[in-house]
Amino acid sequence: MVIHCEHLVKIYQTADAFRALNDVSLDIAPGDFAAVMGPSGCGKSTLLNILGLLDEPTSGVYRLNDISTADMSDRVRSRTRRDHIGFIFQSFNLLPKLSVLQNIALPMRYGNLPRKDILPRAYELLQRVGLADKADRTPQELSGGQCQRVACARALANRPELILADEPTGNLDSKAGEDILSLLRDLNRSGITIVMVTHDDKIAHGAKHIIRMKDGEIV
Amino acid sequence: MKLPDLIATGWLEIRSHKMRSFLSVFAIAIGIATFFYTLSILSQRYRDIDRTAEVSGKGRLDTTVERPLSMDQYNQLLRMLPPQASLSFQTDEMFTSATYKGQILTGFFLQGLLPTWQDSAFVYQVEGRFFNWQDIKNKHRVALIVVYPREKEPRHISSVDSGPAGSVQLQDFIKHINLLNQSITISDQSFTVVGILRAPPVEKDFRAPEDQESMQKIFIPYTTWYDIAPRWWDSFSTRVRIVTGSEDKAARATSVLHSFLRQQFGPDFLPGIRLFRHQLDIYRQGAWHNLKAMIFIGLIAMIAGGIGIMNITMVVIFSRTREIGIRRALGASRLDILLQFLTEAMLLGLCGAAGGMVLGYLAVLHMANNTSQLTFSWWVVAASVLLALGTSFLFALYPAYEASKLRPVEALKYE
Ligand SMILES: Nc1ncnc2c1ncn2[C@@H]1O[C@H](COP(=O)(O)OP(=O)(O)O)[C@@H](O)[C@H]1O
Ligand SMILES: [Mg+2]
Repeated sequence: MVIHCEHLVKIYQTADAFRALNDVSLDIAPGDFAAVMGPSGCGKSTLLNILGLLDEPTSGVYRLNDISTADMSDRVRSRTRRDHIGFIFQSFNLLPKLSVLQNIALPMRYGNLPRKDILPRAYELLQRVGLADKADRTPQELSGGQCQRVACARALANRPELILADEPTGNLDSKAGEDILSLLRDLNRSGITIVMVTHDDKIAHGAKHIIRMKDGEIV
Repeated sequence: MKLPDLIATGWLEIRSHKMRSFLSVFAIAIGIATFFYTLSILSQRYRDIDRTAEVSGKGRLDTTVERPLSMDQYNQLLRMLPPQASLSFQTDEMFTSATYKGQILTGFFLQGLLPTWQDSAFVYQVEGRFFNWQDIKNKHRVALIVVYPREKEPRHISSVDSGPAGSVQLQDFIKHINLLNQSITISDQSFTVVGILRAPPVEKDFRAPEDQESMQKIFIPYTTWYDIAPRWWDSFSTRVRIVTGSEDKAARATSVLHSFLRQQFGPDFLPGIRLFRHQLDIYRQGAWHNLKAMIFIGLIAMIAGGIGIMNITMVVIFSRTREIGIRRALGASRLDILLQFLTEAMLLGLCGAAGGMVLGYLAVLHMANNTSQLTFSWWVVAASVLLALGTSFLFALYPAYEASKLRPVEALKYE
């Protein structure tokens, strides 16, 4: 996945028209593993959401695989998220009523995979993150580290080329955090581009390079 | 998302909030119960009226002439009518008594008929025989007695309850004694009972009310009746009935009958000729009219039900904003979100329909002590289901649309 950003600006329509991103230009090559670091409130999540097509910049250019994202309809954006991008969140964002297996299956439910192939593939992914014995549990019955591994499996469901992780280790103890990091490094070695936001220096040094931000700008 | 997944998602949600779901479909269930009840009764009434049309004959018309009519007049009118038309004259009802082996029998009316009386609304089982044209021509002293099933028996004729000492109601008498081929005396004349007419049970009797006897009857030949009628018989009236076989023939027969009666009784004679088809239309309108209020109540309940669905969908969307955000991040499109909440609302509607139909069916069974047999009709079920689905679809459309418009980032941040 080739990411190319030019002069991205994000202004929140608050009373003081807050500039969360101020002229951010950025290139990420396929197969890269970038860690985004910076103090709280400097715009890391805002940037990641724009890269993930969950949000739109106020101005500037964002080209994904050389396609301008500015003219994408909601349909195309949704399909791109579904087929090419996997998300990992700090708070896991698993659906509490669904079993672990069904959570992993969820992105495939929106895709074109035949129904009968969905659960076998979900199970395969669960094995890959080492939680095959927890298939029928609900997320509440799992530890934080296990939840995040389920979230990683879910992110992989539709074989994305890009994974965006917003502080994936933020809610985990250091041991679990390192597990997630090594999982991400494995995925990166298999060719998936990864952009990861983190506070943790140790985690950040697991990435291939580090992007430092401050006050909405890259420094 | 594919339909089975949409349904599974919705069903999971409904099951995990059973009480909330029950409350939100309550009004829908009441509405559907009302509609199910009303439509069941209405379709039953219409079906009965259709059977009445079948039983009564096609292209039929009726009139009552306030004069006696002779057999010469009968033949004259018959020649004027389209071929194959069936013409029946029926005398007035005469209140009298009979004697069988010294026993006085009262509580019946004596009426004269022609063989063509059988051509319309004839639902009896005949034991023995009916009248034939020989009986008419020769004024035979023969009689027919109608026997009713218990639930259909006419009320006793009250004025004769205090009749001659030792007299017995004919209706009670024939329960114990079979008068077929027996001889009875009416107005000092001896009659042979040549036939017993057994009326069908209530639920199989689809005759129009005007064709059903409301009194116990003894029938004798039309001509014989005038033979034994009292002196003042010329003040009696005649019921004329024509069955033509088709509606356009009936229209022609109406004008024929009209001109015949004017030719007989003068240009000022104003016969009231009724097309039986119009009578059926009046029955249909009556059936609809009686249930109009129910339809209105059902409609109000459905609107309340729709608002209930709308309300619950709004609450559900509010409490699941974050879930919407997650689904959007995983690749759900706006349409997917819209369909998810519509499916859920329609599933709720379906639950309401199921409950409502059970209630409605119980109401039909216990409240409608209808005269005819109730049959279960699938179109009423289909209409109820469609109505519930349609209502929940319409009312959930706005909240579901609002949900689909939520921006993914904002939904995800929602706590
Ligand atoms: N929806 C919003 N409306 C207004 N301000 C926002 C909104 N989202 C984020 N912000 C502000 O933008 C800045 C950057 O936020 P964010 O990208 O979440 O920072 P972080 O680097 O901690 O992830 C913060 O100061 C935050 O208060
Ligand atoms: Mg953040």
